[in-house]
Amino acid sequence: MNTTTTARRRTSRTRSLAAAAALALLVGACSVEDPEAPAADGEGGGGTFSIAVGIDPDTFDPAGQTTTTVQNMVDYVVETLVTVDDEGTVGPRLAETFETSEDGLTVTLGLVEGAQFHDGTPFNAEAVKFNLERIIDPALTVPLGSPFEVIQSVTAVDESTVEITLSRPSPGFLSALSVTTAGMISPASVEAEGNTNLNYQNPVGTGPYTFEDYTAGESVTVQKFADYWGEEPHYDTVSFRIVPEAATRESLLLAGQVDMIILPPVSDIEALQDNDEVEVLLAPSDRTIFIALDNNDPLLSNPQVRQALNYAVDKQAIVDSVLFGAAEVMDAPMAPSLFGYCETGSYDHDPDRARQLLADAGAEGATLDLLTPSGRYVQDAQAAEAIAGYLREVGLTVNVTTSDFPSFLARVNAPPSPETVDMHLLGWAPAYLDADFQMQMFRQATHPPAGLGTAFYTNPEVEEILTRADVEIDPDTREQLYCDASEIIWDDAPWIFLWTQSFPIVHSTDVEGIGSTPTEKFDAIYARPVG
Amino acid sequence: MKGTAAHIVRTLLLSLITLFGVSVLIFLMLRVLPGDPARVLAGLNASEEQVARLREQLGLDQSLLGQYWSFITGVLTGDLGESARTSRPVSSEIAVRLPATLILAVTATVIGSVVGITAGVIAAVRRGSFLDHAISSVAMMGVSMPVYWLGLLLILLFAVTLGWLPAAGSGEPLSIVLPAVTLAAFSTALVSRMTRASMLEVLGQDYIRTAEAKGAAPRTVIIKHGLRNAFIPILTVISLQFGALLGGAVLTETVFGWPGIGRLLVDSIGARDFAVVQGIVLVYAAVFILLNVIVDVLYVVVDPRIRY
Repeated sequence: MNTTTTARRRTSRTRSLAAAAALALLVGACSVEDPEAPAADGEGGGGTFSIAVGIDPDTFDPAGQTTTTVQNMVDYVVETLVTVDDEGTVGPRLAETFETSEDGLTVTLGLVEGAQFHDGTPFNAEAVKFNLERIIDPALTVPLGSPFEVIQSVTAVDESTVEITLSRPSPGFLSALSVTTAGMISPASVEAEGNTNLNYQNPVGTGPYTFEDYTAGESVTVQKFADYWGEEPHYDTVSFRIVPEAATRESLLLAGQVDMIILPPVSDIEALQDNDEVEVLLAPSDRTIFIALDNNDPLLSNPQVRQALNYAVDKQAIVDSVLFGAAEVMDAPMAPSLFGYCETGSYDHDPDRARQLLADAGAEGATLDLLTPSGRYVQDAQAAEAIAGYLREVGLTVNVTTSDFPSFLARVNAPPSPETVDMHLLGWAPAYLDADFQMQMFRQATHPPAGLGTAFYTNPEVEEILTRADVEIDPDTREQLYCDASEIIWDDAPWIFLWTQSFPIVHSTDVEGIGSTPTEKFDAIYARPVG
Repeated sequence: MKGTAAHIVRTLLLSLITLFGVSVLIFLMLRVLPGDPARVLAGLNASEEQVARLREQLGLDQSLLGQYWSFITGVLTGDLGESARTSRPVSSEIAVRLPATLILAVTATVIGSVVGITAGVIAAVRRGSFLDHAISSVAMMGVSMPVYWLGLLLILLFAVTLGWLPAAGSGEPLSIVLPAVTLAAFSTALVSRMTRASMLEVLGQDYIRTAEAKGAAPRTVIIKHGLRNAFIPILTVISLQFGALLGGAVLTETVFGWPGIGRLLVDSIGARDFAVVQGIVLVYAAVFILLNVIVDVLYVVVDPRIRY
């Protein structure tokens, strides 16, 4: 008797304790600073602009860049000599003028006046020479360094003129100078505070923002540079929040805790488009997604079979239902944003034709393995499953396997062997917007293990055209050559041509001045509050 | 206590052997993983020569024994090597990230213990009541709810809808609330189940009846005579849970963008950054061992009958 009453009293005590704890939590919660805080302060600049991204930076050394997300942050601090616009046309940045000699072996740059590095070092021809020599230094690992291997020597003619001598004509070289890899860092900073040449942690560039702080796994902060040579940006501080989970990035934006995010969950794009408080940009990117077919395989070496596979898959349906519209079906072996692209053809969904072609080739009911990474590209494993479904509809047996990316890479980057997988889903995004970067995928020189020409495709006719394009200085002629090569490749169908991925950017409607580049980057340096 | 000291020394010696075993295991496990670290690090566009050069820089061209030798001699001199991905020393990479995970795991353990023990005691004392059933149902949910789902749900409710708490990161004092609660869900449920079972067993004992008969206050009976004697299995669960939370924080850290070591481990495995993975696993193992020693000592404090 006694016990029960006390027990009851005990529980009521516990209950009041729990209530007190809950209350404390609430009171604490209510005293949080207004979550609207990141929003802009309005007039006369100032304030913080915050962006949620998904990747924790590996290195801030421009030369060491591997991902567009990290390049995007470095671009706030470090500038390149030239830019490339949506059309693939080269424009000025730190180099006001750029000229290539008749023979294509000399590139002359005229530098802007008045640019200086954040540490006070003047930006001049010597600095350019230092940087270009640095990215071809064998002691340094430069993941995106291959286009610069043609540099033979760099000469500082005078304070603002640089002459670059190439070992052979390289039409894509100027475009390559727009990649963050070739960004200009202060020569003095390489051996200063916390930096060494091989381990460059605190970037010092000429950009509108100075590198302020990196908290591992948490955020990167940059501050406005008072002596910037170009147009002054609006915000004093830009904060990149590192948030690996797409749904959490979306929540941060919807809660008003950041101003902009990249790569929301694709399944939510439609809902975000219907939301009045945010703006969705589905930026076209240069990343093509495809199924590379093993062109050495007895069955897949037959172009009829490869064409059949292209006809069998309803790409548009997969884009609509699996990728939620965040892609454009390919109509050429490259993305439309590349110089040298021309609309080449289409493999419309035609299962009857696919069956017919398979029958003609004696490949009915064949068994094929399909390997796909999971979580590397937008909806990659899900898309692979859908593709397998379409291939089964035309009578093939398809086994899908997924693996993590390093294991996947080890398999598809191996020399040809009986172990080579029949088909694999892969994505490829040229670092600069030129067809030669994409065409590497169709050349003998890049057959694994040398490179990522993982379809082992080769065609003497294509090789001949591309060899001519490699050294063709006249842009119109070069464009035509890539067009011709594209036609042949399209008919040969070394891949199942799938789609060009979109790069979704979502920002609050309280800010404007946000755009994108076709190389999977956002362009938000000049973002500002609305009104 | 003398015996206890000897026991601790023995435990520590055993720990060293365990750590050595862990070092060999993790070293070999990483080497059998498919994927060439140099290729992954150099990126998709790197030439064969660049990859080969990087392989040499990373010492991956040495024999396995040679590689292990440089790793273990490094460890013994306190040098865990350099991260291939970031070029920073592994020790500083870990030092920067470990505190966040420890704070999260400790907070979650405290929440789990306080809430779990309270709920378990109530459920035991009010056995068979509606409250007991309610606690059981909630505990059932806590055990079966995926961390991802629970975390995103809490973010939706408390950050997006109510706007009370930060959705991600660790920048504000209140940032820890949601990740800690999410991480604590499973262990709270487990601790409450264990407490209830353990308490029920104890409350049926003769000495409880004796204590009640001699007129001790019910509260004294439950806490001093009941809970204290029921505490050993509860302590075991809590300490095991703390270990599990350290390792299992990675999902929570990912959902909430919490800058802990679990995420660094996953990033490093994905980049085949051997030195960092080896370092983190060794640190994990050391923390686990230390935890076991602490729990051993606590057993003696809780239950004087235990002697080593």
